[in-house]
Amino acid sequence: MIKGLTNVVEVDDVTFTYEGASRPSLDHVTVNIKKGVKTVILGANGAGKSTLFYQFNAVERPDSGQVRVLGQPAKYRGKRLKEIRSQIAVVLQNPDDQVFSSTVEDDVAYGPRNMKLPPEEIKERVDRALFETGLTELREKNTLQLSYGQRKRLALAGALAMRPEVLVMDEPTAGLDPQMALELMELAEQLHNSGTTIVISTHDVDLAYAWADEIHVLRKAEVIYSGPSEGFYCDNIKVHSTGVMPPSMFVMNRNLADIRGEDSAPYPRTETQLLSKMVSGPKGRLHVVPVTDKVDHYMLDPVFEHTDDVKVGVFGTVSRRLLYASKMPADFVFNGFESCVGRCLRGKDAVLLCDADCINLIEQKVAGLREFGTDLEYKVYP
Amino acid sequence: MSDYIFETEDLTYKYNSRQEKPSLDNVSIRVKRGVRTAILGANGAGKSTLFYHFNGIFKPGSGTVKYNGSPLDYDRDALTELRKNISVVVQNPDEQIFSATVEEDIAFGPMNCGMERPDVERAIQDSLFKVNMEEYRYRPTIQLSYGQRKRIAFAGALAIRPDVLILDEPTAGLDPQMSQDVIELVDEMVEAGTTVIISTHDVDLAYAWAEEIHVLRHGKLVFSGAPEDFFADLEQVFLTGLTVPHTYSVNFMTQSIKGEPLAPYPRTNSQILCKMRNDGATVGHIRLIPVREGSDMAEEEGAVGIYGSGARRLFASKERVADYHFNAIECCLMEAINGRPSTLYCDEHMMPFVKGRIASLDGFGSHVEVVE
Repeated sequence: MIKGLTNVVEVDDVTFTYEGASRPSLDHVTVNIKKGVKTVILGANGAGKSTLFYQFNAVERPDSGQVRVLGQPAKYRGKRLKEIRSQIAVVLQNPDDQVFSSTVEDDVAYGPRNMKLPPEEIKERVDRALFETGLTELREKNTLQLSYGQRKRLALAGALAMRPEVLVMDEPTAGLDPQMALELMELAEQLHNSGTTIVISTHDVDLAYAWADEIHVLRKAEVIYSGPSEGFYCDNIKVHSTGVMPPSMFVMNRNLADIRGEDSAPYPRTETQLLSKMVSGPKGRLHVVPVTDKVDHYMLDPVFEHTDDVKVGVFGTVSRRLLYASKMPADFVFNGFESCVGRCLRGKDAVLLCDADCINLIEQKVAGLREFGTDLEYKVYP
Repeated sequence: MSDYIFETEDLTYKYNSRQEKPSLDNVSIRVKRGVRTAILGANGAGKSTLFYHFNGIFKPGSGTVKYNGSPLDYDRDALTELRKNISVVVQNPDEQIFSATVEEDIAFGPMNCGMERPDVERAIQDSLFKVNMEEYRYRPTIQLSYGQRKRIAFAGALAIRPDVLILDEPTAGLDPQMSQDVIELVDEMVEAGTTVIISTHDVDLAYAWAEEIHVLRHGKLVFSGAPEDFFADLEQVFLTGLTVPHTYSVNFMTQSIKGEPLAPYPRTNSQILCKMRNDGATVGHIRLIPVREGSDMAEEEGAVGIYGSGARRLFASKERVADYHFNAIECCLMEAINGRPSTLYCDEHMMPFVKGRIASLDGFGSHVEVVE
């Protein structure tokens, strides 16, 4: 890793035209993807989002302008190209464009093998990627036998096994059912927390708003906005002309603030933040139980010393997989943090079983509620 | 005429005999005529399999399927007749588009239904206009993007003017504007008497749109009724792979914290905002301009929206872009809630529907005035 690097990808005044097309698909586009910043690319179908991603990992060479990856100019052949592909992993919208091998584990191993990693490391990476995407049990299965959602997870597993600096996902939740979409976004948050820079394109503005630190908006091959979400959504008619709708949380907050004659800021991006701002009542406590290598009922005993009226949620890949394996029932297997806090806001206690490496993330989220008026009492168990 | 457009009784279906769990397991569902109906369920729950029973592509392993009160007849002529009335638009447009050009693809259905040539021509023009793809009429279908192919598949279904329109994940992969355009067309068809059934993962969209929902889980029907009754049972929602819509959730949590009743249930942002301000005030007005054949621009105030294909055509003919050219009813309601006037050009036959949407806010404690 290069010290002091702030932009992992720099697209500088890039114009790109597909062969035979009359208009460029990217027209003098300048976009910087900042290291460690959760980034969303928004835009209508055909605005140029996927084309932009092909610039990130040097699949397409620009007509003019320059692309820099991790500080170095992109190269379109040889060793440097291989290096770029291992640094920047792009997961395509349609998994059928990406899944080629006959078995699940072979497909995941494809990238690491290409990187010429030692066999033990390949195995370790494949195991981990399959675990994170919930495909461990399907590892020997033929890829043709997988459902759409499974193929979509497989394509992601292949990218994870590369351990890239930057993970780019094109419409990762399209076609997934809502719980799988939430699980995927939680994984994205967890990967971000462990240092990977994540870039997502999506049509789901609600999901994008809750997740993104920064957005870039494309309209007809041009970048028309880069910055925090609110700066874009505050101009209703401009948003409309982009073919996008403002997120529900933004709309509700802004209109309520206007009606009450209050300031719109701070801007809530999640339901619990919005509720914290709007209503208040007695709060329950959030009990956080870290999970490392097992989940069982005894872990909840210290919580039961305080109260027995609790519901249990999970956060993080490890916790969820171990919970499934343990057959222990939980109330909020998806969206665990939001659901648990929602319960606390209604005056009741909740337990969150949370991956040990995500405790800091939960602390940040709880602290984040303070500016919206909720000072949640929470306790992390040893 | 039966009150139910489709009824199944103990419908069971397996794709092959070795399958342990059937894809549909004793499903008895009743879909009401003219009621906006959504079928919800996770991937693999059986939604598409059910749809293929509605138009007779699949024959039940056991149990029965009735259309309009009569059991389906699976002989060839009867099925051709049935498919004149029932259009299914599948999720993946590639499974539906076969012809070389857009025009041929759209003409396929009407020709098969025995429509006269001039009517076919009108159907092609009309349906291409509705999906905003007029300029693509002579294009080869393989050159189209995913969103465009999706719209062509939809246009093909519109062209046969069916009694029942069944849409499998119509908004998946579409951007918000295209999704709203689909919903607007669907509402137009519902007003014209078509029964529309939608399957979707988008619980927010389903909640805002559907009057009745049916929920499938592992091939079994686990719920039929008003959406609120389903979303109230969190455990059931989670078991079916779904989540709770934002508007339901915000209303539920706010009212629980305040210790106030949940009903009336807001389903749109405008409704929830009115419920929260709850001051019984007249908040603003919307100037409604009916659009019929030969209509022109009229006096306007505030932001301008268009609703309906006639209004769209009018603006296209003037080469004018409206401020709100999709999701316009909700956008104008939002303007009103903020005390700003707005203007909505609206197809004449959609006026009752639009007025209904505006009046719905009364139930949430705010009144928006209509100026005609």
